[in-house]
Amino acid sequence: MDFTYILDALPDLMSGLKMTLMVSGLAIILSCLIGALGAALRTSGFKPAEYAVRGYVEFIRGTPYLVQIFFIFYGLPSLGLRFSVFWSGVIALTVWASAFQIENFRAGLAAVGRGMNDASASLGLHRWHHALFVVLPLAARAALPSSMNTLVATVKNSAYLQAIGLVELTFVAVDRIAYDFRAIEMFFTICVIYLLCVFALSGLGHLVEQRLNRPFAGR
Amino acid sequence: MLLLEFKSFLLDGLAHTLLLSLVMILGGTFFAILFAGGLSLKSKWLSRPVYMLVECLRDIPLMVTVLLVYFVLPNAGISLNPFWSSALSVSVWGGANGAHIIRAGLASVPSGQREAALAFGLRGWKGLLLVVIPQAMPVILPPYVSLVTGLVQASSLGAVIGVNELLRSAQILIEQTTISRGGSPAYLIYGTILIVYFVLCWAISVLGARLERYFARPYQRQPSVQAKQVEGQTLPAAMLDVKA
Repeated sequence: MDFTYILDALPDLMSGLKMTLMVSGLAIILSCLIGALGAALRTSGFKPAEYAVRGYVEFIRGTPYLVQIFFIFYGLPSLGLRFSVFWSGVIALTVWASAFQIENFRAGLAAVGRGMNDASASLGLHRWHHALFVVLPLAARAALPSSMNTLVATVKNSAYLQAIGLVELTFVAVDRIAYDFRAIEMFFTICVIYLLCVFALSGLGHLVEQRLNRPFAGR
Repeated sequence: MLLLEFKSFLLDGLAHTLLLSLVMILGGTFFAILFAGGLSLKSKWLSRPVYMLVECLRDIPLMVTVLLVYFVLPNAGISLNPFWSSALSVSVWGGANGAHIIRAGLASVPSGQREAALAFGLRGWKGLLLVVIPQAMPVILPPYVSLVTGLVQASSLGAVIGVNELLRSAQILIEQTTISRGGSPAYLIYGTILIVYFVLCWAISVLGARLERYFARPYQRQPSVQAKQVEGQTLPAAMLDVKA
């Protein structure tokens, strides 16, 4: 293991990491929004919307993520939708992550009991107040562990985007290996970087979980 | 039509995908049992390293694991062809995930069952196989079936390092027809193989549901046990009974 080589490659890898974090950050924000919207539609009681959301979730979860990426990057341009590598990556990652977030949030909503409905009604809360101040805080707490898992998986799955040539962490490493043949050093480094990212993110998740759990702690 | 014209080429790819998936499922199950055994070793000095390995495999992106095995193993003097290289890396990854599923399943069986088995003289492997595992199956199977579909989907990663499976065949077909005829048929071909993979995974989950029903048979007359298997999370009791 040649550590001077790793130090030499570090600036390149850091710019790759920046791209990884940018793509996955955008995808995380978008997929949470779509997930919340989808989960709301999924439990809205409007049958066509429910079937559409369910079909979307089933299809995305039932097909390989790599093929979805290729379909979006190579397939959509011939249908007249042309995106850059970066935006194709963001779209592919968002499409994949939203399917999982919809399920997470739906389970969160399902965990809020029917009794809350009656309680809000008896207190005379408006429908929107009930949704925002009663259902949302409870559903968010219930959905947090599984959606944190999905967030971590989103960061990890950004590595697949090297297959369409997005210059992120894995791409940089593989690219350098093609020139310098230092496979062990490069893979050691990116594994450490990915592990640090995953640990940081799941640590953050635990902190948020504890913080949100405070009203229920100590009983 | 393009798809019919190159039917045998694509079917050949599908056959390779099926073979690769089968190898991955068998290999993944093998490593899952191996890791689950390693995790439950009594000596901390032995089980800790296994735990670290399993966690690393779960936390490193699968794409990186696949490339790592493909690029790093030759440095150690082991050169595998793309097929076995991807089979090994995905199996190890599946094993790491499967180990946790198996361990959670075994832990869900009350320890009294094990003791009862001992009381009947079923020691060691016999007690595990005849008493504990049949009861753990309803807990193990649902996540294991989705792991199996995950493994089938992961077989498409072979295309990245050059295994001639379905996705790689599609890539080759698209390249060739784009060069020879102009105009990319990518959306048609990728769309088709998306559907093929979907049908494959759907068939597996249907088979899995059958298997689940088979193992759940002994419990079907007890509503209390069935209630435990309802999917989806429930809030911890402390969160729901907020007292004024």
